[in-house]
Amino acid sequence: MPISKQAVSRRSFLGMLSATAAAVGGSVSLLGSKTARAIRVVARPSAAQMQRLLAYYKTKPRWASWLVPELNVNDGWQRWMRTILNSKSLPIVHDNFSRIGTTIRQPHHWVMVIDERRCVGCQACVVACKDENNVPVGVYRTWVDVVEIGQMVPDPTGAIVTDHGRFTNNIKRSSMPLICNHCDHPPCVEVCPVKATFKRADGIVMIDYDLCIGCGYCIQACPYNARFFNPVQQTADKCTFCAHRVDRGLLPACVTSCPTHARVFGDKNDPTSEVSKLISTTPTTVLKEDLGTHPQVFYINREQEVYDKNSVKNTVYPYTANLNSTEYATLSGNAPLPGDTGGQR
Amino acid sequence: MPPTNYYGTGLEQGYWGLMIVTYPYISGLVAGSFVVATLSQLFGRKRLAPIAPLAAILSFALLLAAPLTIWGDARQPSRVYELLTRMHVPYSPMALFLLIWIAYVILMLVELYAVFRAGNAERAAWQSRSLKGKISSVLTLGVRDTSATSLRRDERIVRWTAGIGILLAFLFHGYIGFIFGSMKARALWSTPLMPVLFIVSAIVSGIALVQLVYLAVSKWYGWTIDREIVAELNAWLVGTILLDLYLDVVDLVTSGVRGYAPEETFEWFNRLYFHGPLIWTYFGLQLGIGIIIPLIALMTRRSRLSIVNSAIMAFFVLVGVYAMRWNVVAGGQMASKVTNDVVSYPIVGTGYDSVQTVVGVFAIALLLFLFFMWGAPWRTGVEQPSEGSGGSSGIASTAVPGASTVTEQEVQSTTQGIPLTPPLPGSNSPGTSNSFNRASNGEKELQSLYPSVTNTQTQRGRS
Repeated sequence: MPISKQAVSRRSFLGMLSATAAAVGGSVSLLGSKTARAIRVVARPSAAQMQRLLAYYKTKPRWASWLVPELNVNDGWQRWMRTILNSKSLPIVHDNFSRIGTTIRQPHHWVMVIDERRCVGCQACVVACKDENNVPVGVYRTWVDVVEIGQMVPDPTGAIVTDHGRFTNNIKRSSMPLICNHCDHPPCVEVCPVKATFKRADGIVMIDYDLCIGCGYCIQACPYNARFFNPVQQTADKCTFCAHRVDRGLLPACVTSCPTHARVFGDKNDPTSEVSKLISTTPTTVLKEDLGTHPQVFYINREQEVYDKNSVKNTVYPYTANLNSTEYATLSGNAPLPGDTGGQR
Repeated sequence: MPPTNYYGTGLEQGYWGLMIVTYPYISGLVAGSFVVATLSQLFGRKRLAPIAPLAAILSFALLLAAPLTIWGDARQPSRVYELLTRMHVPYSPMALFLLIWIAYVILMLVELYAVFRAGNAERAAWQSRSLKGKISSVLTLGVRDTSATSLRRDERIVRWTAGIGILLAFLFHGYIGFIFGSMKARALWSTPLMPVLFIVSAIVSGIALVQLVYLAVSKWYGWTIDREIVAELNAWLVGTILLDLYLDVVDLVTSGVRGYAPEETFEWFNRLYFHGPLIWTYFGLQLGIGIIIPLIALMTRRSRLSIVNSAIMAFFVLVGVYAMRWNVVAGGQMASKVTNDVVSYPIVGTGYDSVQTVVGVFAIALLLFLFFMWGAPWRTGVEQPSEGSGGSSGIASTAVPGASTVTEQEVQSTTQGIPLTPPLPGSNSPGTSNSFNRASNGEKELQSLYPSVTNTQTQRGRS
């Protein structure tokens, strides 16, 4: 939990925060029930307390706001529904992405580090993502390719005895978590004919579903196949880094659900964040670097062989690997699923 | 061990279906038939002048039907107006679509006005009571002058619009090739050859379509087919097919040879076109039926003069170009971006993005074309009465001096197997019975002959 760690690291601020929380909680306790108190405690501080907080921030450098993104109301990422598409409060760009970090103020830069040494291929992140974001059946915002690489080697002294001779097992299982790379130069955003998809100043690439005309150009232009047509809302859809959670100081659902901490999320602009430390201390790679998209999902110990068609012998979870799975017609209910009683959907 | 899921029905789908296969096809026919019209209007191939109006209305009908394909493919067709209100130029090539399309439609309207103004004026004068005559009088926009000066002005307008229009046609079709060619995520699309390949094959398909339509229309009305026009179109067809073959070979060599191509491009080209699901559409339809067979079959002048051969070869070329669109659009999406298997590309029979919708778009284009054929006075040059119809033959040969007579003689001589005679030295070049080409005749002679020409033709048109 890099964000909470950062908050703890500033003792002076923490004291102030706890005082604020106590003040809010105390005032709310006068109002009545426990439920109300619980809700109000996590709500925004009052106007007077916010003034004090802002006064505190004014004494700090602008970039200090990564400490508690939840409390920096001037950023604009507080009120999701009202400000997310308002370019005045939250800068968004549709092209010329070099502006982010140069002419456009950039307090955060959200990135993800995926440590493949730790991934066990349990698919918990896939389930959590579908649960959190209500992703329809048959499409995935994040998925984990689990493949078997290598082959049975003929060996006279091998432990595996078959009718065709003895073999030694030289097969290993490799898993490959995949997600939208939130590229710094996303080709998908640039090609959108109606500027429906955009890149936020904090690095998250998103879609305005009310503007998407569903032409499919961004889906074709994404080199990572991270975009898809949402069969329910009939627009393009993709991973948002759980922006609704990140804007409130929470981690993305796939990160929180990962049992082995293989996914690490954080602010690359913050030198004390876990992602910054991982990127600076560990060799990382990105996918399809030669395309010049500058992906912001960094892989540690990536298996190049997963992409090699001669190496992969078996796909363990084919339903998320986008191949050889049940046809979408079956998954979306147009054809009966196994055990389906045949009733109306 | 081969991959177990070679033709896997995966979740990575070909999102751009049959409608997007059809879209470059139709827009290619738009550009190609426009190029055929400009051959006489701009590049001085006066022999093709009689079919220029036909090619122009054919191009316009297809132009109006072309957006239906992408509109039908869009998942949110009700938001298409955003292409004008939220245009992402110059970054997104697709955002240019409506701009280019509207500019093209306006230009075509100007050109069609100039092409048909004289004919409309004639018709308005001679059929003032009928519905056609009233429509024609509106379409002249009040300019009823049919003097040689006005015809020359029309010709100048047509030449200008053809000059700008050929650029717009290349832009209208070339930007589709650019959309595919600029997509670095797709290994098989990402080649700078793509726009040129699209434009050249568009001209090929346009010539073939005009050829086929000219033959079909003449057959339908029982007119004599001017074999010189057929041969000239076939000659242009052979030339552009040679260019197309050259580009296809360059594409094949730079994508399908391991030494010359990037790894990913070579792997997918090899798997899809050499050993995979597209082997028949690539080698059989695109290269075989679309290029090689027409090249061989139209090699000699005698074969280029044959009507049956021309019709079959034009149809073959149209099939081959559609196969080329299929190979590009479907093949590019069959190559998976992140996995190592061929993506399934289902053809749906009915419903969204299906054979049904494609047939519907072609049907709408045909209806529009028939409507324009009904409305526009395009027959002036094409109409050549057949030999069996007796009296009308004499009318035509006497009504239009010089030009039609020569054509008539040539047609008769070719049908009898006699070698073609060159045009008479005193006459104009053949096929100059198109409205604006009459300006080259003497002004007085033209004005004196004009009513009789119009009279006989309109009467025959009614019957």
